[in-house]
Amino acid sequence: MSLSNHERGSEVKSSGRFNFSGLALFAALLLLWEFSSRFTPAIQPYFPPASRVIHSLFQPSLARELFGHLLDTLGRFLGGYFLAAAMAVSLGIILGYFRFAYSLLEVVIELLRPMPSVAIIPVAILLLGIGNSMMVAVTVYACAWPILINTIDGVRNIDRTLIDTGRTFGLGRWKILRRIALPAAAPYIVTGLRISLSIALILVTTSEMVVGGSGLGFFILDEERSLHTSNMYAGIVVVALLGYALNRLFIAVETKAMAWHRGLTARGML
Amino acid sequence: MSILDVEGLSKSYRQAGGESTLAIENISFQVNEGEFVSLVGPSGCGKTTLLMCMAGLIAPSAGRVVVKAAEVDGPPRNLVLVFQEYNKSLFAWRTVLGNVLFGLEVKGKPAREAEEKASYLIGLVGLDGFERHYPWELSGGMQQRVAIARALAYEPEVLLMDEPFGSVDAMTRLELEDGLLRLWKELGTTILFVTHDIEEAIYLSDRIYVLGRRPSRVIQAVEVRLGRPRNQLTTRADASFMELRNEIYKQTAPRLSSGW
Ligand SMILES: Nc1ncnc2c1ncn2[C@@H]1O[C@H](COP(=O)(O)OP(=O)(O)OP(=O)(O)O)[C@@H](O)[C@H]1O
Ligand SMILES: [Mg+2]
Repeated sequence: MSLSNHERGSEVKSSGRFNFSGLALFAALLLLWEFSSRFTPAIQPYFPPASRVIHSLFQPSLARELFGHLLDTLGRFLGGYFLAAAMAVSLGIILGYFRFAYSLLEVVIELLRPMPSVAIIPVAILLLGIGNSMMVAVTVYACAWPILINTIDGVRNIDRTLIDTGRTFGLGRWKILRRIALPAAAPYIVTGLRISLSIALILVTTSEMVVGGSGLGFFILDEERSLHTSNMYAGIVVVALLGYALNRLFIAVETKAMAWHRGLTARGML
Repeated sequence: MSILDVEGLSKSYRQAGGESTLAIENISFQVNEGEFVSLVGPSGCGKTTLLMCMAGLIAPSAGRVVVKAAEVDGPPRNLVLVFQEYNKSLFAWRTVLGNVLFGLEVKGKPAREAEEKASYLIGLVGLDGFERHYPWELSGGMQQRVAIARALAYEPEVLLMDEPFGSVDAMTRLELEDGLLRLWKELGTTILFVTHDIEEAIYLSDRIYVLGRRPSRVIQAVEVRLGRPRNQLTTRADASFMELRNEIYKQTAPRLSSGW
């Protein structure tokens, strides 16, 4: 048995209340950035003060340019993430349910999974060229693993009685997969989806850096090469905000969709 | 007309060590259409095993089960099993209403009609007001009743129930017994009911099959000729009720009659 639980990411839950001390520390770090840069002008070309980065963010021309790149990155992210989710969940449910299917693919999975996903970027470039399809493909590949592994794990952990319940009510195999295995494995699937959220952004920006043309990854690297350092930092800030926003959105959806599960775990019934 | 035939059924489980446990051996009995039949027997004698075979969920080692003239080799249509492990059988992601609706959805009932039916059944098992609760918000006995309501909603021709009142208190149990009898009459369902409780079996049934210790066989078939509708007070006080009770006790626990 080589499926493991270590990929089930644990998450520090935010309390939801206004976190004063946390925000104060954040502000202090911003000030540290600002003044350490201000008092050592020699490093300013590489490390401009925070205020200059924020200022450049609000330059209309740069803001417009950044927004364009943001949309490109977001499009690739969404394409890759949702394609990966659809494929990995369907495949994971089948592999989790049918033992022979899993043993057929087990060796391939175990060999490919530990490989750092960025290693396939050159392969993807060779096969797909340097367009959107290549960047999306790489993202799909990388995102699929945590979702796949967690889904398989989730389906395997379903109690036999639950499957038998579907059978006694006359459901066929495929209906059992869709109406019972899928929702019953949902808590595991959601964990995989959460892990893949950040992986997707990593892969999109990385491949944009490698391939160039457009997107926040490309922008960041391009500005660095043109020595527009504060623009580079502005790009980093935008990509960080994008990651933050996506994560918040994910948590909001999860909280709503998985309310039944939260109560279940709270009662210690799992 | 028999609707359910168990013919020479045996089941042995393979143990981890390679040897096998014979859970039931050469069990045969019949249930007629529309009857209420109970199976009683000591814990571990193979009642759940028997029901799982009858529901087509596990394959017997020998013998066969015939439901409506068709040999069982998979879950038969029109037959539903209410599992002993009700808490593992409920859908945690569905509310009480959602769980009960499941039994109607799989039959393709229109949504409006289904909802009405589900609410009626939820009321019948005494869970009104809990429609929007999730199973984990309910006590064990309440969960068990959700599982019963879900199975009844499906309106199977044959209902197999594995100790369905196992974790409800004595008072609720009496109410559920009467509720079940009412529905049984209303729906015309055939019910095979497993219980530890001999008096419950007598109160509910037309016939009782008594199983012996593992590997179990039917050691006694008892016809219950009490009138219907039954009544918790008068039926249980009936002389023939007592007689049946003593007869079964004598068979299953001979030491009781000789005293201590
Ligand atoms: N999946 C299984 N694998 C191996 N042995 C099993 C399995 N299920 C049941 N058994 C064995 O078969 C015998 C009968 O079990 P079963 O669950 O059918 O009894 P039961 O009459 O339903 O008991 P109870 O009244 O306690 O529910 C027991 O000895 C049990 O150990
Ligand atoms: Mg049992």
